[in-house]
Amino acid sequence: MSVAISLPRPRGRAGWGRLIVVAVLIVAAAGTLGPFLWLVVSSLKSEADIFANPLALLKSPTLANYASLFKQFHFAVATLNSIAISLGVVAISVVLGGLAAYGFSRYPFAGSRLLLSGLLITRMVTPAALVVPLYLIMNALGLLNSLISIILGIAVLNLPFVIWVLRPFFDALPHEIEEAGLVDGLSPLGVFLRIALRLAAPGLVTVALLSFIAGWTDLLFPMSFTTTPDATPLTSGLLQMQTGYKIYWGSLMAGGVYLTLPTLILSFALQKYLIQGMRLGY
Amino acid sequence: MVYPVASLVILSFQEYSPLRSTVTSFAGLANYAWLVGSDLVHQSIWVTVVFTAVSVAIEMAVGLAIAVLLAKLVVELRSRPGRLLTRLLSGIFILPFATPAIAGAIAWKTLLNPQFGPVDAILHTDIAWFAQFPLASVIVADAWKMMPFVLFLMFAAILSIEPEQYEAARLDGANAWQEFRYLTFPLILPVVAVTAAFRAVDAFTKIFDTVFVTTGGGPATDTQVFPLLIWRTTFDYLNFGHASALAVVAIIVSALLGASLLAIRRASST
Repeated sequence: MSVAISLPRPRGRAGWGRLIVVAVLIVAAAGTLGPFLWLVVSSLKSEADIFANPLALLKSPTLANYASLFKQFHFAVATLNSIAISLGVVAISVVLGGLAAYGFSRYPFAGSRLLLSGLLITRMVTPAALVVPLYLIMNALGLLNSLISIILGIAVLNLPFVIWVLRPFFDALPHEIEEAGLVDGLSPLGVFLRIALRLAAPGLVTVALLSFIAGWTDLLFPMSFTTTPDATPLTSGLLQMQTGYKIYWGSLMAGGVYLTLPTLILSFALQKYLIQGMRLGY
Repeated sequence: MVYPVASLVILSFQEYSPLRSTVTSFAGLANYAWLVGSDLVHQSIWVTVVFTAVSVAIEMAVGLAIAVLLAKLVVELRSRPGRLLTRLLSGIFILPFATPAIAGAIAWKTLLNPQFGPVDAILHTDIAWFAQFPLASVIVADAWKMMPFVLFLMFAAILSIEPEQYEAARLDGANAWQEFRYLTFPLILPVVAVTAAFRAVDAFTKIFDTVFVTTGGGPATDTQVFPLLIWRTTFDYLNFGHASALAVVAIIVSALLGASLLAIRRASST
């Protein structure tokens, strides 16, 4: 890849060209970063300052909006609920999705290719379409207003994606290693748990990351399946700040930042896996 | 997955409005007849199509342009500060993708607010963007969030092109535009096609959070995209029969789109 630059290049015009490229990219980056930066800065202003002058810089930063999240809007409970939902989705996705992807990869059966294509298609279905039947099922099972119903709803829609992303990882593993495991007396499940999973670890990290984000950011299922604060996560909790009478702008913006921070930290820490997920998931 | 869909199909032939009666009764094709004749449904489909076409077009154009420039920088700047700059830039560009749709929607809702939003302050206007230009505003918010997805797929595709080919182009005296037009673009065209198709299907079926938080489908029903229409029919109008018929249509459309996406993938990989 470094061959391209080893060519001798004339200074003048190329230097200007590069400068323009950098300038355009910096402007684009500013446009990308701007809205989020605005959200962070505004969330640190008092409600009065928010309305005073939109272009004013942060003069007297305050955490009042963040405090109101916990005092007024049950964010302590909501945070725990969000964590529970995300971890639940990760657990189901990794365990069931891992087994299914491994099965598709190692034990193809008549029609398994067709089923895989079908899986990609279910991934294209709008989640709102499945909320109706899932709502009635959860209602019949008496699971409405519980975290379990939310976890199951998100996980059901997440599984096709997980299988689609994980299968290539298992496909890429050399059969010989697993056969050696079988010869050494491991059961097929043992081979899966002790050998295949360990070798496909990068894929599992990608899947766990994206499943966590799916659970953490989902609005549709909590909004549809719960009305009680006990089972309300951050996402649908945020919506309670915009009532018909009043929008609590300060709290809303602070809540938006609060909701974003975990996914942002995870995404930057595991950026490599996130981009890999983007490339494999489609 | 099979059971929910099956029960959905059955329900779509029944009348079930828990608000009026808890009894479900067979309704034949009544739900589908409603769907075909309803202006609300027609409008929703139209809004969804426009939203998808415009936002995907913007995402592709901007994403591709930034990817080309970023790739140029990565290849040309190999010094330490140069690498730091490209790493910083790509970190910034991934940020909207890592931001939950709801948080992005809140940011845009406040940015475009007529009373305290900076956009109106800079322009010296007091336009209520989400009320006066609802669809355009929703498209901007969505394009901001999803552009990085396009950007990083294009970026990876461009970097996988053999550098020798650029060397040859330069020896032939190609300028930057010719390089892009006759070398880069044809080589990444398959990835461009698949990405655009995937984004279109995704935008068509998944747009919910952004619209729900910013406009709620309004003003009136001007931005009531299809997933939102299904949701409102279910939980606001509590008409499960109508909602199921809508959902069945959505699933059929998704299946057709998904199947054609698979076909495009297969065609572009050979």
